[in-house]
Amino acid sequence: MNPFDYSRPPDWQAAVNSVATDAQAKFLGGGTNLIDLMKMGVETPDRLVDINRLPLAQVEELPGNTGIRIGALVRNSDLAEHPLITARYPVLSEALLSGASPQLRNLATTGGNLLQRTRCYYFYDPAFPMCNKRNPGSGCGALEGYNRIHAILGQSEQCIATHPSDMCVALAMLDAVVRVQGPAGERAIPIANFHRLPGITPNVDTNLQTNELITAVDLPAIPFATRSHYLKVRDRASYAFALVSVAAALELENGMIKSARIALGGVAHKPWRAAKAEQALAGKKVEAAAFSAAADAELAAAKGYQYNSFKIELAKRAIVQALTTVAALP
Amino acid sequence: MANSNILGPARSRVDGPLKVTGYAKYAVEFEIPKCAYAWPVESNIAKGKITAIDIKAAQTSPGVLAVLTHQNASKMADAKGLFEEFAEAHGEDMSQGIRNEQRAPLADDEIHYAGQYVALVVAQTIEQARHAASLVRVSYAPELPILTMEDASKAKKPKKKQDETIQLRKGNVEPALANQNIIRLHETYSTPTETHNPIETSGTIAAWEGDDKLTVWDSTQFVKGVQSILARSYGLKIENVRVICPFVGGAFGCKGALWPHVLLATMAARATRVPVKFHLPRKAMFTGTGHRTPTSQTISLAATSNGKLQAIKHVTGTLTSPVGEFVEVCGARSTGVMYASETIRVEETVYPVNVATPTFMRAPGECPGVYALECALDELSYLLQMDPVELRLMNHAANHPIRDVPFSAKHLKEAYQLGAEKFGWSKRNPQTGQMRDGNLLVGWGMATATYPAHKMSAAAKAILHVDGRATVQCATHDLGTGAYTAFTQISSEQLGVPFEQVTFELGKSDYPFGPVAGGSNSTGTVGTAIHEVAQLLHRALAELAVKDARSPLHGSRPNDIAMVAPGRIALRKNPVTSDSFTDILQRAGRDSITVESELKDPEENEKLAFQSWGAHFCEVKIDSLLPRVQVTRVVSVMNCGRIVNAKTARSQIIGGVVMGIGMALTEETAYDPKTGLPAIANLADYHVPTNADVPPIEVYFVGEPDYAFNPIGARGMGEIGITGIAAAVANAVYHATGKRVRDLPITPDKLI
Repeated sequence: MNPFDYSRPPDWQAAVNSVATDAQAKFLGGGTNLIDLMKMGVETPDRLVDINRLPLAQVEELPGNTGIRIGALVRNSDLAEHPLITARYPVLSEALLSGASPQLRNLATTGGNLLQRTRCYYFYDPAFPMCNKRNPGSGCGALEGYNRIHAILGQSEQCIATHPSDMCVALAMLDAVVRVQGPAGERAIPIANFHRLPGITPNVDTNLQTNELITAVDLPAIPFATRSHYLKVRDRASYAFALVSVAAALELENGMIKSARIALGGVAHKPWRAAKAEQALAGKKVEAAAFSAAADAELAAAKGYQYNSFKIELAKRAIVQALTTVAALP
Repeated sequence: MANSNILGPARSRVDGPLKVTGYAKYAVEFEIPKCAYAWPVESNIAKGKITAIDIKAAQTSPGVLAVLTHQNASKMADAKGLFEEFAEAHGEDMSQGIRNEQRAPLADDEIHYAGQYVALVVAQTIEQARHAASLVRVSYAPELPILTMEDASKAKKPKKKQDETIQLRKGNVEPALANQNIIRLHETYSTPTETHNPIETSGTIAAWEGDDKLTVWDSTQFVKGVQSILARSYGLKIENVRVICPFVGGAFGCKGALWPHVLLATMAARATRVPVKFHLPRKAMFTGTGHRTPTSQTISLAATSNGKLQAIKHVTGTLTSPVGEFVEVCGARSTGVMYASETIRVEETVYPVNVATPTFMRAPGECPGVYALECALDELSYLLQMDPVELRLMNHAANHPIRDVPFSAKHLKEAYQLGAEKFGWSKRNPQTGQMRDGNLLVGWGMATATYPAHKMSAAAKAILHVDGRATVQCATHDLGTGAYTAFTQISSEQLGVPFEQVTFELGKSDYPFGPVAGGSNSTGTVGTAIHEVAQLLHRALAELAVKDARSPLHGSRPNDIAMVAPGRIALRKNPVTSDSFTDILQRAGRDSITVESELKDPEENEKLAFQSWGAHFCEVKIDSLLPRVQVTRVVSVMNCGRIVNAKTARSQIIGGVVMGIGMALTEETAYDPKTGLPAIANLADYHVPTNADVPPIEVYFVGEPDYAFNPIGARGMGEIGITGIAAAVANAVYHATGKRVRDLPITPDKLI
């Protein structure tokens, strides 16, 4: 861990200013990932700007039943148990509760969760010489390494890391919008454009500018999101990152699927919105064959490596199981 | 059946309040004035040479007191003797300490494995040390490392452990294994590298007084061993080295040997002339304090059609590092003792690779060995269409199969019987894939557990105070097992002093000798020393009493006197003539009386074989679509002689079962196949079972006290709980799914 300065600005303007004037500064929320990475020597900020006193810890309804707004500092535990979330977006509550441990969820924030970095072994431990995400141009150690937890969709030769968040998979399925403040004012980033695929710049995780502060996440009103579910497949019953996860919701009408929403976790560099599966399901009858066909459509382009090819079949099965569960919800 | 006379009272831990309030002081929590902090620099290549180390930036970083490397350590720490001592061959005498790595840290420029310490930074604060360590620049001339058993077997001559007690042979297995007219099985089972991961990571504080007195606070399973090795390494008088370790936050074997960090802490303290604390980061626990070697075990069985074993052959390959000493002996005390087979063959081969040095891990050898054999037996039961319990009863060994002497106090048949009854085994459908709970596949599996009864040497000191309190001391250890409590109970019973008035002290090299807390030996070994010191105490009291005209025992011969009831000695033949401990001391004008037992070799009884036994029964449930195995029920019945404390003993077995569930389903330390660096090196990625992975576990004890083994009647039970459980789980997975996974851990990908 390198020496660093610490400040605790009184408002978001001051917070944004401190980061805008210092390229090596980082915002500090719950610290559950950032501090860990600093200890490992992966993140080396010269200044931590502690935003924990900013008034960003509210969950509130947006006017005119247009959705709800989640402050960036709402803790994962609080969000998971919030009555508006459990009633309207059960998938988000389930996703949050499937992640990490109670102690971590008590500290981890909504904004911080969006910025979680990959758990790729080759990224997380600087003893590994190759990692294009940590050290651009050094190569990808995982490509021919121990790649059991790595990506099968949307990866590049430069990086096959996955995004580790559960919460973000639910947000991707729900078409959340990330609200940010920067020196130039406020802007809104649709969740689909927030995280990036690795391409040739895997060192850039998101489209957030380094001088921008996440202030809130907006969830649009989705009446059928009450019929939603988060399914997580992992190596142990609790406290493990997803091998594969699925956030799913179905809009049903007379035994038919009017529309489907599906996002996958553990398979790509970003929460993976399964557009092909959604298209395949629209207008179909609620039946196992339709679910399987949708899963096959989504995974047709998947590519596995030495240790993770099982994820392709596992993802298909997880999609089928999640849809089956959602369809059976009251 | 469960025999109440084997179960001691269920006492809560005497150190419980200290633990839950945070007052229990662990080794690295001692506050030593002026203490500096060390942080390591580790090799990120697995084989090669250091060509240069640039320490300038680290040396000038704020707070830094010293940067030790192979170029300067010997001189700075005046450690030439240490390097020489470590270069010499190390004998088998475990009482003098244990080294699994035959090389002093920073001895030279050679790199033998990734994670090897190549420098140590000492600074005033841990943050300064950690930062400065990141500024050390090491250049290497890397060579292609050998990382796997396959590559090692091609590359160099493997090491066979020559010991005849390990390479076993009873008759000739080959004719039966070649006989096409009987039932035969030939399969290979593999287990991965596993890492102990106690919550308290290893650590050492070293403080020198001048050049000839050293005190270390060390998280260890063997204070006397650390004392002995350090004294010899630095040429110090043994009494000038003190080792202190009142509590250990879990060990499981990784604190039994002396590892390089202990030497580094002492070298750093000598170089800087201030006390130095080196508390290992979690990552270093994956390379710096041992692990369980991966194993590849081929089992060949031959049996008659009614299930009588004609041959068992168990061929094991394991790994060690180029500087490693430790051998994981998988077959000798599992396959070599468990079943009455006509012929038995056990072979062990060790392959050196460029991976960190392995060590003991809970039930070393027996744990993977029993896994392989008990899976093979399960497979044989299906070939024979025979119930797995029946098959084991058919081949029950009343006598040691090779030595042909009876096992002492063996009650394994009762363990099978009680376990089957408590579990409801008779309701098992013998076909695979037939039992269901809704959409879930249900599987029931069982396996035998076994672990040898080990005996070592110990001595104890007892101090009886005139107010009736007693203090008993031995340089033994409590790894979190409940040893403090068990030894307080044994002291109370043997001395004849109420439990509440006994203080048992351990974890200091100042006390009489205690052996390594390993091999499930402590309760029996230290218990025997307590038994002996209690006899000495009663003798000393008798000698005072017979000389005291006011004592009812006045004029009697001390030989005719013994303890007859707590707190009283009396004539053996006429117990009414008695005197109380406190009256004797009071009348003699003594505040206290102190006795110490002698350290001697344990008495061996060659006419019997001593081994603990047990049986695990378990249920798993598996979603066939998303096949993560969930263990939903375990019944474990153990036969370990007398159980001193019913509560902490039950916890020990539960702990072993939990660790075995991890072995079966989740635990694996994976390495990068190219560089040999551990890919899994933290508690998020190394999957020990969480509460949600652990089902209700019922534990029962059967048998009788094994007084032929020692006067306490206890054979020890720290390890046996983990043996067999991975096989029981794997066998249940087969029963549920019809799929035999012979490669642990059984993660979801292996069942798709």
